[in-house]
Amino acid sequence: MLFLCLLFMSGGEGKDLGRIVSSLHPLERKVLPFVGKHNDVRSLVAASGLSETEVSRAVGWLSSKGLVESKESSRDVVELGSNGKIYAKDLLPERRFLEALKVAGSGSASISAVKKTARLSDEELNICLGILKRAKAVDIRKDRELVCIITEQGRRLVSSGFAAESFIRKSFPVDVVALSAAEKSVLSELRSRKDIVRVSSVKDVQVTLSSLGREVLARGIAADVADKVTSDMLRSGSWKGKEFRRYDLLAPVSRVFGGRKQHYRRFLEDVREKFIALGFTEMTGPVVETEFWNMDALYMPQFHSARDIHQAYYVKEPKYSKSLPKDVVMKVKAAHETGVSESRGWRYSFDVQRTHRHVLRSQDTSISPRTLASPELKVPGKYFQMVRCFRYDVIDATHLADFNQIGGFVVGEGINFRHLVGLLRMFAREFADADEIKVTPAYFPFTEPSAALYAKHPEIGWIELGGSGIFRPEMMHSLGVKEPVIAWGIGVERVAMFKLGLKDIRQLFSHDLSFLRNIKVV
Amino acid sequence: MPTISFSLKDLQQLVDKKQRVKITPESLVELAHYCKGELEGYDKRADEVSIELDDTNLPYLWSVEGIARLFRGVFGLQRGVQEIKVEKGNYDVIVDRSVSGVRPYIAGFVASGGRLDDYLLKQLIQLQDKLDTGYGRRRQKVSIGLYSSRKIRFPVHYRTSVPAETSFVPLGMDKKLNLSQILVQHPKGRDYAWILKGFSQYPVLSDDRGEVLSFPPIINSNFIGKLEVGDSDIFFEVTGTDEAAILLVANIFAYALSERGFTIHSANIIHPKRKLSTPLLSPEKVKIRKEDVRALLGLELSDSQVKDLLERAGYGFSNYTVTIPPYRADIMHPFDVLEDVAIMYGFGNIEPQELESYTVGQKLPIVGFADKFRELVIGLGYQEVMSQILSSKAALYEKMGIKDFGTVEIEQFMSESFSVVRTWIVPVLLDVLSGNKHVDFPQRVFEQGLVTVRKGDIIQDYEKLAVVSSHSAADYTEIRQVVEYLMRQFGIKFAIREAEHSSFIPGRVAALVVGRKEIGFFGEISPSVLSNWCLEMPVVAAEINLSELFGIVSRK
Repeated sequence: MLFLCLLFMSGGEGKDLGRIVSSLHPLERKVLPFVGKHNDVRSLVAASGLSETEVSRAVGWLSSKGLVESKESSRDVVELGSNGKIYAKDLLPERRFLEALKVAGSGSASISAVKKTARLSDEELNICLGILKRAKAVDIRKDRELVCIITEQGRRLVSSGFAAESFIRKSFPVDVVALSAAEKSVLSELRSRKDIVRVSSVKDVQVTLSSLGREVLARGIAADVADKVTSDMLRSGSWKGKEFRRYDLLAPVSRVFGGRKQHYRRFLEDVREKFIALGFTEMTGPVVETEFWNMDALYMPQFHSARDIHQAYYVKEPKYSKSLPKDVVMKVKAAHETGVSESRGWRYSFDVQRTHRHVLRSQDTSISPRTLASPELKVPGKYFQMVRCFRYDVIDATHLADFNQIGGFVVGEGINFRHLVGLLRMFAREFADADEIKVTPAYFPFTEPSAALYAKHPEIGWIELGGSGIFRPEMMHSLGVKEPVIAWGIGVERVAMFKLGLKDIRQLFSHDLSFLRNIKVV
Repeated sequence: MPTISFSLKDLQQLVDKKQRVKITPESLVELAHYCKGELEGYDKRADEVSIELDDTNLPYLWSVEGIARLFRGVFGLQRGVQEIKVEKGNYDVIVDRSVSGVRPYIAGFVASGGRLDDYLLKQLIQLQDKLDTGYGRRRQKVSIGLYSSRKIRFPVHYRTSVPAETSFVPLGMDKKLNLSQILVQHPKGRDYAWILKGFSQYPVLSDDRGEVLSFPPIINSNFIGKLEVGDSDIFFEVTGTDEAAILLVANIFAYALSERGFTIHSANIIHPKRKLSTPLLSPEKVKIRKEDVRALLGLELSDSQVKDLLERAGYGFSNYTVTIPPYRADIMHPFDVLEDVAIMYGFGNIEPQELESYTVGQKLPIVGFADKFRELVIGLGYQEVMSQILSSKAALYEKMGIKDFGTVEIEQFMSESFSVVRTWIVPVLLDVLSGNKHVDFPQRVFEQGLVTVRKGDIIQDYEKLAVVSSHSAADYTEIRQVVEYLMRQFGIKFAIREAEHSSFIPGRVAALVVGRKEIGFFGEISPSVLSNWCLEMPVVAAEINLSELFGIVSRK
């Protein structure tokens, strides 16, 4: 079977000259007839009247179709550098020095005087003194200052000229191979000087006709093929009976990049939609919070370690808010100090000024007491928020200074801990595709009882998905809510990283365009 | 949250010597949840277990003795409040009135007749360290001292001293230093000097011969204050600023040492006007309600079930009056007790119940509005980015060639690059471009997100949209086309007016005006700004305040 296939393929191979001819691009048609008469890109440019880019592209295509063979070679070429171009017009520094010295009184003068007459920079002076001393063209003596005297050899050089002078007057570019041995040594001397000459490698492409190319040319490449479908053709109907040039369908094309959503933002949108579908209403709050809503209203004592200057970001100015509801503040103060609703409280002296202190929101839960205290609260109700939070953390593969948190609450008559477990089971199904869950005891200052949610992921095993609990009675009492409230939060960044296949949390906020343009859409 | 380590064999011994229940590294994964903790690891070679503990209000669990006490209840090996025997001791601690302004409270006891081996000594020091650091708020609220009681001649005196007048050899050194020198020269002195900042006299604990025991909360003396392997008699003391906290810590230590076979002898703490004997093991009582068990937990439990669960959790129970064990001070409300009913019942045994209420979900209106803009900008071929919203004044203003227009700054930041809340987004997008100079052009990037601007005492968040386009032919026309396209799609009437903005080329920046209000600007970024960002390609940019636009549009 395999044998038959091979036979069949070789029988049909490459012989369809008509097909090849009709696939030729206009540029290929222009270049191909010159190949054979001219065998490098430069002369093909001259012969075809096309630009170098056009010829190169045509040669590339022709060679991939097997019509020509191209071979690259490189050679070294000398060109003048920026100083070289100046010296070619304005004489080399050593020539200028020597002439200035020669016209000075009896061929001797102080070096500084010569430098001035010859208009030399410090650098040029040093170089040309070295050259002239090696050529024995000058003697240097020390009087009160350095004095230079021209020698016989020096006078001869003025009339005969330096080898370097004739070199830089050549017509450039010059192939290094074409230089004599003496010229090569001048070249290597000049290369050690600042930007007089430059040697670079130039690529040559040799192009020869292949036997297939010869066959195609012999058949004749004139064909009545159209290149593009044009609006004129369509209007006039001239396309009728026309053959269109066949394309190389497998030739590489450059990539395009469309506009697209940021990967993490897309993920968050999906999460938001899911909450809305589950009947949750979105809430939000300000980036700059007060300690009151951020911590105190959540019944977190003012001495709690999460409130340390090295845990949260306190705001420089203005330090204190002027807009807290005074009555709620007083109720919260009482709850902390002596307790309310059968509670003994935290038993410390609550600092009312401190509760007004501005802090960057350190936890999304800060939004819940705002909503609970609001007259707009709906009971029964389900609420969620997805907001940016801020912590004092060193940024690394697992920590960010600002990050997203998702949380919320469910309020309603008769809600209890069993509903909380039911809610967590639903979250595990909806957000981690996990049927198997584990609800374990946990600690949060604002809930009692408190629970952590673990979900068994089919691939990575047990992961901690979030926390939950029933808001403490002290908190509810000071906010004026009588019905029980289940609070919950989901570790969204962890789930997002898993879903997006990321190992480094910083990639959630990546600024790398190649990464953003190419990350798989999930 | 503290992590503590101990030997698994030791835990087994403390829980059940007879091995009726067997604790394995595998069973510890589940058991750790009873302590609101997580098994961090088990080192088989060293037989060492590490558990991280979540609850900062249950410090008795920061010792293997405390964890074992809880587990004995879980397994039903022990019920009710565990009592330890305390002998009336003849150890006086005389408190001078001078400490009242600095560090007013002290408690202590003597534990004798046991034997400190290397492991137990390490365990005690671990407990001391966790309590000092976590519960004691880095020794400020609570700090503990342990001594060999045989070296002390009682009574012990707790007083203050002028720093230069008391000198002793601090632990780990070989020469005498006075109290001020200790704060400067001793490593612990440097670590904890902040606690005594602003005081002219420092606390000192010394015995009846005048021999210094320690300089609380900084360091013990090298002579008396050094507990060693082989010691059998320990003097424990704890000082602090919160009497309830130090009494709790003394109880936690007394329980731990008693369970290790030491006999506890009380100490008499003699304040100028009152006296108390510590450890103070008088348990508190709290009343819970039967109906709350059902209301809060959703569980139908009989009285005897509630009694059984609470007694296993270490409480005493008599007709819904609950006795709290003396090593706990976290019960503020009856619900705190009910949580322990649920924990002992087992969270895993609680049948989930679905929510029955019907509610309609809804996103924030501004989110829906902003999403429509994002969709249109993406349609124009722009790549979306999402950035950290903390930034720096250098990026927002210096590099942009403009003045600060009202910034919320962080008082103590971790890194300059994340030291303020961003006030606009174009600089963030220029930062994106500057990191991608070698990526294919054209580069069209946008971000929709929050900025925060401060005007005097008023701080306001805004949802904004910023777009930039960078390629060799990027110009004013292109960016104006984008802005006009967006306005047209929403049918918003707008005007364009010449603007002044020094991040842009003069004469090539315009303001977008809707309802007489400037809600955005756009134009060609100035070459000096581009060179500040090391950009080598022209950039055009626009920024629109969606919150303000939404306000105007939804009013109509």
